[in-house]
Amino acid sequence: MRARRLTPALTHGVRALGLLLLGAILVALALADEAPVVDESILRIDTAEATAAGDARSQTITLPDDWAVSRPRFDGDVRYRMRFDRPAVTPTDGLLALYIERVCSNLEIDLNQRRIFSGGRMTEPVAMNCRHPQLITLPAALLEAQGNVLDIRVTGNALQHVASREFAGGLSALQIGPRETLAVDHARRTFWNVTWLQLTAMMLAVGGVLMLVLTAYNPREVYFGYFGGLCLAWAFLSLRLWVPYLPWGHVVTEYLFCIGLASLVMMSVQFLLSYAGLRSRAIETVLVVQWFLVPLTLIVGGETRLFAVATIWYVLFCAELLVAAGLYLGFTRRERNHDYWPMAGVLGASSLLVLIELGAQHDLYPWLQQVLPWPTLSFLLPLPFLIVGVRLFLLFARALRTAEHGRAALARRVRELTTEFEGNFSQLAELRVEQVTEKERKRIAADLHDDLGAKLLTIVHTSESQRISALAREALEDMRLSVKGLIGKPMRLADALADWRAETVARLSQSKVEVDWLSPIEETEHLLPSRGFVQTTRIVRESVSNIIKHSGATRCSVRCRIADGYFAMTIQDNGRGIPMELDGKLDGGLGMSNMKRRAKQMRGQCLVQSGPGYGTVIALTVPL
Amino acid sequence: MVRHPGGPGVKNVLLLEDLPETRAWLKALVLQVFPDSHIFEAARVHGALELVASMKVDLALIDLGLPDGSGVDVVAAIREAHPQAQSVVVTIHDDDDHLFPALQAGAFGYLLKEQASELIAEQLKRMSQGEPPLSPSIARRVISHFASQTQPQERPQNMPHVALTDRENEVLLRVAKGFTLPEIGVQLCLSRHTIADYVKQIYRKLNVSSRAEAALEAQRLGLFRR
Repeated sequence: MRARRLTPALTHGVRALGLLLLGAILVALALADEAPVVDESILRIDTAEATAAGDARSQTITLPDDWAVSRPRFDGDVRYRMRFDRPAVTPTDGLLALYIERVCSNLEIDLNQRRIFSGGRMTEPVAMNCRHPQLITLPAALLEAQGNVLDIRVTGNALQHVASREFAGGLSALQIGPRETLAVDHARRTFWNVTWLQLTAMMLAVGGVLMLVLTAYNPREVYFGYFGGLCLAWAFLSLRLWVPYLPWGHVVTEYLFCIGLASLVMMSVQFLLSYAGLRSRAIETVLVVQWFLVPLTLIVGGETRLFAVATIWYVLFCAELLVAAGLYLGFTRRERNHDYWPMAGVLGASSLLVLIELGAQHDLYPWLQQVLPWPTLSFLLPLPFLIVGVRLFLLFARALRTAEHGRAALARRVRELTTEFEGNFSQLAELRVEQVTEKERKRIAADLHDDLGAKLLTIVHTSESQRISALAREALEDMRLSVKGLIGKPMRLADALADWRAETVARLSQSKVEVDWLSPIEETEHLLPSRGFVQTTRIVRESVSNIIKHSGATRCSVRCRIADGYFAMTIQDNGRGIPMELDGKLDGGLGMSNMKRRAKQMRGQCLVQSGPGYGTVIALTVPL
Repeated sequence: MVRHPGGPGVKNVLLLEDLPETRAWLKALVLQVFPDSHIFEAARVHGALELVASMKVDLALIDLGLPDGSGVDVVAAIREAHPQAQSVVVTIHDDDDHLFPALQAGAFGYLLKEQASELIAEQLKRMSQGEPPLSPSIARRVISHFASQTQPQERPQNMPHVALTDRENEVLLRVAKGFTLPEIGVQLCLSRHTIADYVKQIYRKLNVSSRAEAALEAQRLGLFRR
């Protein structure tokens, strides 16, 4: 249930991210819209005299100068010379600046034969400034009003010798104007070209490390690990942005870039497949082999065919990614997974981006450059990673929560079961004790009957003395009652009353005593413990015996009732009462005191009222 | 028409009792009530069963707890071999846990050993004349026995379904509530003999129903092949 409720949250999260992305694009577009506003104060330079190294001739070219077009297969330095008049405008802070949107790989600038700027090393390893727009303040002291000479020496590589078009040599158009105005453009371009990518790379690096840690602790969730590797591979590719030049030649950098890209593709494919639960040894092997093949083919192909070989790989990579994405989506769709639509959106968008990027490498759609405010869409590439990353974290959080709930439920169930088991066990133990006790009682009862009972019986039937015979008979009855108290089960009060009634009426009728028995509680559901039943039976029996033997009564009335948790019974006769001289003596006295003692044992009481002339009343009260 | 055994009909009496003194006393008692009878004594179940198989029995006094088994088996054997004979349980146990199985097996009544000889003689005479005793606790057991029988679920066709009549039920209920048989006779305006007949019917039906139940149970356990 919990998981179900979290799914909308997840969709909301992804939707919110999508909206954020859209908003960012819109804001960027809005900002970009302002850019083409032609500022009178800005001087645009789009022609130059270019002299390539090793070539004495100079030629006039238009800027931007894309070496891939103007001088294919050229590596090295190109000198651009431009003349310009100082713009008429006077900036508020008095500073004029030169803004170069793109220069690759590096540059040095002389103004009126004085060096005013250097982007770093101009010989291998050359500083890599391809993504960094340049804003150079023009020293006022060196500026003439007219006829300033600007010399820009650009060092770069042919497209064929780099792995990606954006690292091919070239120089964009120049703008000269107030520093503060140009700084805005420069800042924006720097943000999207560099800072943004650095930021996302950093985020993905951190996320990637977290994912790897997650996998280390949950080896079953291997796709977290692949996604972490993917993030780290992306961060590795972005390393160029942090270090302007690396301590090795650009060729090695290109190899490393391609290896990074191969890692990225390997991780992406593995991630998609394992995320869909489709893992294949063969594909894994192929990917690893490919990872080694990439640098190998690049080296074999040689520096001159770097771009061509890389392009083949790019196409292959794209195809692999598309196939993996297709497999993934097909699988999720079949499983009716709630992942399908969000992931379809993300994967579709990324595929489009990758295809556009691939096309841009070959300048397939220059019109897009016109429409879009950015030179490439590469800044959008980390976004899908971020979205999927956030999604994975949400999934993990959800799984964690579900697991937590499952654990809590399990703990509860275990507690319940333990309690139940303990209850059952103690019940079982009790039952066992009861059974054993019951068995033992039955054995004792049987022994009593067989041994004591038989002997008493012999006395009853063989004794010459009437008195001994009667005593033995009473002893036998007592024994039987004791045994009943020992092994008997609780008895319904109504049943007990029926037994007492039957016995009392039979005995009294036989002695010609008229009985009037009233017990209006026939239907009561009260239970009488067997001991209570036995004791009460004795009291009733003794009372009846007294009436028969001593009272000389002709009528006897018995009343029973239940009130306030007590059972009350009154036995009244119209006899002569207990004579004074008998009171306290052995026969009558013992009988009475026995009755009282038995009532007391039941926490009840037995009152005997008697007087000459009005008979005897025995009032018995027993708690229920 | 129910035959009234006893009186001149009592010829052969089976006496099963393990204690010699008690047996002697019982023998004297029986001879006192039925002077013309022949008494065959047995001290063990085994011996009693042999006697049951070899002679005609009119009346049997049977102790329940015997060294080599239960008197209930002898009661059942007599019921089987001599349907007209009367089995009376003579026991020291007065609780229905002991008595009820014997009644189910076909006993016609019970005597408590410790009672005075005169009383036992009187009861024996009454039983032989067709007036068996019925205590409230036995009545309750009979009621619950028939209550558990009323649902005719899966009863095979050949099994007799034994049910008490309304009158028999009425008598039984009143006994269970503690009324004595003479009292019930007065309440229902019935003669002493009619009440006695009802009680006999109740005993008989209890026996038939119990045997049907036992057969059904045996069939359920797969002891019979159909």
